[in-house]
Amino acid sequence: MKAVQTDIHQYLLKQLPKATALVNMEQKLVGVSDSWSAVFDISSKDISKLSIQDLYAKHDKVDQKTLDRFFTKNKSGRLRHLKEENGDEQWFESTFTPWFDEKENVVGTLIQIDDISEEVKKEQELELYKTLHKTQSEVAKIGSWEYDIATEQVSWCEQTKKIHQVPSSYQPTVAEAIAFYKQGYSRNKISMLFHKALKDGSSFNKKLVIVTKKGEERWVMAAGKPIKKDGKIVKLFGTFQDVHDQVQAETKSKENQQLLTTLINNIPLNVYIKDKDSRKILVNKAECEYLGKKAKDLIGKTDFELYDADIAQISREEDLEVMRTQKTILGKETMSIKKDGTITNFLTSKIPLLDLEGTVTGLIGISMDITHLKKKEDQLRDLINVTAVQNKKLINFAHIVSHNLRSHTANFSMLLEFLVKEDDETEKERILAMLSQASDNLMLTLSDLNQVVDINTNINLEKKSVKINDVIHKVQQDLSTFLTKNQIEIKNTIPDDLSVLCVPAYLDSIVLNLMTNAVKYRSPDRKPTITLSVKKHRKKIILSFEDNGLGIDLEKHGKKLFGLYKTFHSRKDARGLGLYITKNQVEAMGGTITVSSQVNKGTTFKVYFDEES
Amino acid sequence: MKKVNSIYIIDDDPITVFGIKKMLRPAATCDDVQGFENGLPALNDLKRRLEEGISVPDVIFLDINMPIMDGWDFLEEFITLDIPKKVIVNIITSSIDPSDYQKWTEIRSKCQHHLNFKNKPLFKIEPSDLDAIDMAS
Repeated sequence: MKAVQTDIHQYLLKQLPKATALVNMEQKLVGVSDSWSAVFDISSKDISKLSIQDLYAKHDKVDQKTLDRFFTKNKSGRLRHLKEENGDEQWFESTFTPWFDEKENVVGTLIQIDDISEEVKKEQELELYKTLHKTQSEVAKIGSWEYDIATEQVSWCEQTKKIHQVPSSYQPTVAEAIAFYKQGYSRNKISMLFHKALKDGSSFNKKLVIVTKKGEERWVMAAGKPIKKDGKIVKLFGTFQDVHDQVQAETKSKENQQLLTTLINNIPLNVYIKDKDSRKILVNKAECEYLGKKAKDLIGKTDFELYDADIAQISREEDLEVMRTQKTILGKETMSIKKDGTITNFLTSKIPLLDLEGTVTGLIGISMDITHLKKKEDQLRDLINVTAVQNKKLINFAHIVSHNLRSHTANFSMLLEFLVKEDDETEKERILAMLSQASDNLMLTLSDLNQVVDINTNINLEKKSVKINDVIHKVQQDLSTFLTKNQIEIKNTIPDDLSVLCVPAYLDSIVLNLMTNAVKYRSPDRKPTITLSVKKHRKKIILSFEDNGLGIDLEKHGKKLFGLYKTFHSRKDARGLGLYITKNQVEAMGGTITVSSQVNKGTTFKVYFDEES
Repeated sequence: MKKVNSIYIIDDDPITVFGIKKMLRPAATCDDVQGFENGLPALNDLKRRLEEGISVPDVIFLDINMPIMDGWDFLEEFITLDIPKKVIVNIITSSIDPSDYQKWTEIRSKCQHHLNFKNKPLFKIEPSDLDAIDMAS
């Protein structure tokens, strides 16, 4: 009966769907289900000889001590074990329960096995996610928080606590959590956002300042989102991120940017950055003002679109040179001509612009407008020139004066010496006549010199607008007898309404002098003709006196032509004063006089009137 | 009294010419004293003498500031002439312009003739104005 019962038990056990085994007190298998056999790959029919310890030893991760305890102490419990076969892993969980007989005596152990591979896999995945999340939140300093409406419980994650600088055990209330925010804007804002989220389910994400437990102010990004269940808000969940360093870096970078922009825009220099193709990629205020365009209209433009073609070409070549050699051009004097023809002088520097790898990406240009300095320099140079000319004139005049006065006084001395020693009365009278002559000569010279001094001391005489032809006609009138006698033909192409700025008395004198000269030095071989004409050149009016007279060898006499007491023709009435006076008068009015001549062809004098002042 | 063959006085100022002639009288005997108003007629006369084989002047009194051809221009031409003897040229001027004195030193260095530089007024003709041989010896 017992044997039969055992057989039935065995048979029943064999068919159990759940892997089940019975182990006796000797820790030998008494009966197993097929599924249990499969777990340990038991092929033998005679299972009674198999040791349970040996079977479990075939699997990994088995805690042998725990296993022993199940049998020796008859305790119930669970044990995980891993079966590895051909690289496949299978996790099992064995449940050990004491096996009782009818009289409640322990006769062995009942072992049931579940395949928990899926479970373990999920557990592992979850563990992985947890670790990942923890790492992420630590690295990004992103924490999280939760608020349960029902329990009014606030819970912070580790990271959130860390950001607040509170211990892990800290549990805040809503009021405490909000109190961490800095008084004023931050606290008001978070309070408002929190209640709004609770009330109408709106999410929030705001950069605010908290004061940590240790009293440090830090920028945080607080975000919150309601969680609904059955259409009702049950929780608020959110992230909490320390963005202090970013905000500080941003603020710093903004400050730097602001500083740089302020500097570049307000520096009284034209600053621009060009790319490799010399296209402008940055221009400052001064550069915009200089070019009279807005920054957006200049970005992307090359010099060819802004300046005169030649100037643009020079600039482009400089750019290429700077980018090729990576050498800075410093303080080079350059000239810019805009499309409208405006000329500006610059002191230009071009600096190669390198990226972080040291490759040239363009250049920085800095130009200082030195046009006004240049103008001053030119004015100064002009002034020096004028002064030098004046000085030369003065020295020259001093020599003339001394020479002319000396020659007369020398004659006086000599004649007086003769007179003292002379006994002969006739000779005495001759000497006296000569003394009287010398005196007349001196008077004449003094009056000549006076004329010259007058011209040179009255350089600020008021200039008036005078019609040239009015003057010419008047001189012609005054000289009419002289002109008629010499049968002079005058060709005048000067427009009647043309005026020049001049000192009227000087213009009279100049015209009289040049006309008289043209008549005096006429050629006996030709009918004497004087041609009068004007030309306008830039801001000057050029009055031209052309004759067909004797002419003069300018190679020989050119330098002396306008000198005092220089005469070049054997004429008794030539005193060498006229052209000297004329030149002085022209120059006193800020003009110039030139001469061109060919011997036996004629002479042309040109008077340049300065119309500017 | 020094005997001089021929003397030129080149000056546009008749008073100076008169003075020199007067001062020559006690200093030298000369039958051939010529006056010229400027360098050009003097140069022409000199060339004529050379062509005709008449002896050229031994002494020249030369003014600087003259019309048509001044003293310097005359000298420039004069030193290029082929004159077989040393002529004494007395430059007589009232100029105190240092450039005139400089010009004189320049010309003197490149000229075979004897050049004197004399500032007006003159009161007397010195023997050195008439004879360079004494000076040179």
